Amino acid sequence: MAQPPRIVTPSDLDAVALARLHELDPDGRHGVVYRVMTAFEGSLVRMMTQLDAQRAPDGHASVVSGVAHTLKSSSASVGALQLSTACAAVELALRERPEQELEPLIAQLMACSEAALMSVRAMLQA
Amino acid sequence: MTIPPHFAGDSLPEQPEVLLVDDDEVNLLLTSLALRDRGFAITEADSGEAALAMLRNWVPDIIVLDALMPGLNGFDTCRAARLLPGYENVPILMLTGLDDDASITRAYTAGATDFYVKSNQWSLLVGRLQYMLRASRTRIELERSKSKLARAQDLARMGSFDWRRAGGDGFFMSPEALRVFGFGPNDHVGLRVLLRMVPQDERRLLLRQLHEALRHASVLTTDVAIVLLDGRQRIIHIEAEPEFNEHGQSAGYSGIVQDVTDRRMAEDKIRQLANFDSLTGLPNRRQLLWRAERALEQARRMQHQFALLLIDLDRFKIINDTLGHGAGDELLVEVGRRLRACVRHSDQVMEGALESVGVRSHRALEAVGRLGGDEFVALLPEVSDDADAERVAQRILESVREPIFVSGQECFITASVGVAIYPRDGNSVVDLLRNSDVAMYSAKGQGKNSAAVYSPVLVGRGREKLELETALHKAIERDELVLHYQPKIDVRAASMVGAEALMRWQRGGVLVPPGDFIPLAEETGLIVPLSEWALREAARQASIWSQSFGFNDSIAVNLPSRLFERSDLIEHIHQCVTAVNVPHRVIQLEITEDNLMKELQNVIPALHRLNEIGVEISIDDFGTGYSSLAYLTTLPISELKIDRSFVRDLGITPQSAAVVTAIIALARSLGLRVVAEGVETLRQMEVLHRLGCGLMQGFLFSRAVPPEELVRWLEGTVLPRKANWITGASESVVEVERVVAGRPFR
Repeated sequence: MAQPPRIVTPSDLDAVALARLHELDPDGRHGVVYRVMTAFEGSLVRMMTQLDAQRAPDGHASVVSGVAHTLKSSSASVGALQLSTACAAVELALRERPEQELEPLIAQLMACSEAALMSVRAMLQA
Repeated sequence: MTIPPHFAGDSLPEQPEVLLVDDDEVNLLLTSLALRDRGFAITEADSGEAALAMLRNWVPDIIVLDALMPGLNGFDTCRAARLLPGYENVPILMLTGLDDDASITRAYTAGATDFYVKSNQWSLLVGRLQYMLRASRTRIELERSKSKLARAQDLARMGSFDWRRAGGDGFFMSPEALRVFGFGPNDHVGLRVLLRMVPQDERRLLLRQLHEALRHASVLTTDVAIVLLDGRQRIIHIEAEPEFNEHGQSAGYSGIVQDVTDRRMAEDKIRQLANFDSLTGLPNRRQLLWRAERALEQARRMQHQFALLLIDLDRFKIINDTLGHGAGDELLVEVGRRLRACVRHSDQVMEGALESVGVRSHRALEAVGRLGGDEFVALLPEVSDDADAERVAQRILESVREPIFVSGQECFITASVGVAIYPRDGNSVVDLLRNSDVAMYSAKGQGKNSAAVYSPVLVGRGREKLELETALHKAIERDELVLHYQPKIDVRAASMVGAEALMRWQRGGVLVPPGDFIPLAEETGLIVPLSEWALREAARQASIWSQSFGFNDSIAVNLPSRLFERSDLIEHIHQCVTAVNVPHRVIQLEITEDNLMKELQNVIPALHRLNEIGVEISIDDFGTGYSSLAYLTTLPISELKIDRSFVRDLGITPQSAAVVTAIIALARSLGLRVVAEGVETLRQMEVLHRLGCGLMQGFLFSRAVPPEELVRWLEGTVLPRKANWITGASESVVEVERVVAGRPFR
């Protein structure tokens, strides 16, 4: 009988979210988790680059907002819950508290992104 | 409305087609995987622009749309999709973030069917999509059924309306209802406008009905005549039910209106066809019987008498046969019109209306109707005695007797009327009709053109007739029929030149005269076997006489026209004569003038064929019917027999001599023989002789006698030249020869 694939669960990715991902491909035949993580990695790198370019005071708020909105749900889907929370904070601030200093929130978002990227890469390499 | 093909069935499509639109490739991938895993067919688009491009060529079952996307966002994409043809009702699910209230509102405004907060609990999303698909299908079905209903209503010229008690203009009509009243779908029409379309009299009635219904919150069902704005008159059926609010109070009405004009006209037509004779417009048998039953009930309840008069036209068949059915119909219409004027005729009697008109309401039943053919009935719902009914009967006879112009010519017709009176002559309509029929036949029997009131004695006669008919059936097989022979005399030569065979019926020792059974035989069709027997018997007798005393003349047999119409007549005569070895010419056929003219067209071919085989034709009772002289010149006939009625009056009235003279002149110019019938006195013989007729029959010479007696008569009277007419004849001959100076007699 074939051994079921080993599931790697880095400590900073949410186990419940990952379990849901696995549910989509229980026997791993379709490599769903790998495909999703790969897509997320690519998306995250792209978003971080966009965000980095627009985080200056003269940057486009709409780009920041778009990045935060997109990453908010995709990061939740792969279990990067801290990143998702950071995205939600940025999105909320942009929508409802435009006077609030944004930079600390973006810095937090970037940090969480870095952490999530590392976790995802670790997972992909495993 | 576009109906996606998947929705043709009852259940959801096996693999619903989903267009999934999301700019985030992670979400797109995840959602797509999750939905595919649960049986959906997914087509992905990563932007609003890409999605709209796809929608131009293809209609998915459902669209799942991310709200926030760079470029064309979800809201704008949704709005643009809704504008594409066929996308008005395709379900669109908008994906939004949990904390995004503004997006939710915008989603609905943009035309999204529903929204869904993004989550990785895929079964929730699947459940939502399935719910939306089901709702969409139900909606489509609803739309279809709504449009079907509208179409059905339109076809049925029907529409619906609502009326609310509270709140301003609470009257609403569906486009179909507006159309019923001749308005366009966008016209605003209030109740007042509609009421004004109802003619004033009916409006008052309708308003009363409306108020009544409102007061009792009862169902309203009524038909109203209206006049449309273009002047057309229609009948509108209204059916409305009250509606109640949560407190049980009447809140208004909802119902339907339907244009029932055509149906009503058809119903009227059906009622007319069912109850009235299409030719004369008079009540038909069904309607008459219905009226008679009502009259009977009333007469029973109020203990009065009522009368049924059965009216049958005399000799109607002759008019129908000679002038054609068109003329016959014309005559019936005119007779119907006259009869109607003889009573207080009421055309319309509404069922149920009788009770409401009061105690004398049965008077409305009075009418003349047509039972069928030339038979009419007059119903007199109340008569005080026989005389009452007889007065009407006389009025009817007089009215029918007046000349009638039919097909441009004046016709004379008469009727026979039979009267039966409730309760004396019957306790049921059936009995009364039967007895009026008996009375009518009695009137016909007494010479027609008269009326007779029923009496039980007449039934006795009817019973006798029935017995006679049964006995007549058996007469041939029992050998009860005999032929008696009356000689035809050539007065000048004082010799017998032939004989006429006359049928007699020896019934239980009594000799029944032909007048008592020949009409019955004609009526029942027994005349055919009777006549065939007579031909056989006459041929046999000719053969016997030929052997016993050299009889070489012919025996005349009377035949009704229907025998001439039979294709086997020639063959039958042929068999009769060859069986006894006598020539065809021993049989002569007599047909009455009436009979001949009645069936002229049908009889002519037979006359020609008979003539060809040597059988001569003689016209009996000549002068009493309506001969077409034009026909006489072409018919293959050999002899005319002057009717006894003219002979009887010879020497008494000058007119008779004129008629006889005319007949003789006519016959002579046509080259026909003339025989005078019913010669009883020497005086008649002499006059006939003087007028130029030398061939005669009658009691003066001999009555019709059995064959053996005829032989004795010949031997005892003619040959020894012992009779008084023989001397008289010789004297007359001298005189006549002086008058007609050498012209030969035929």
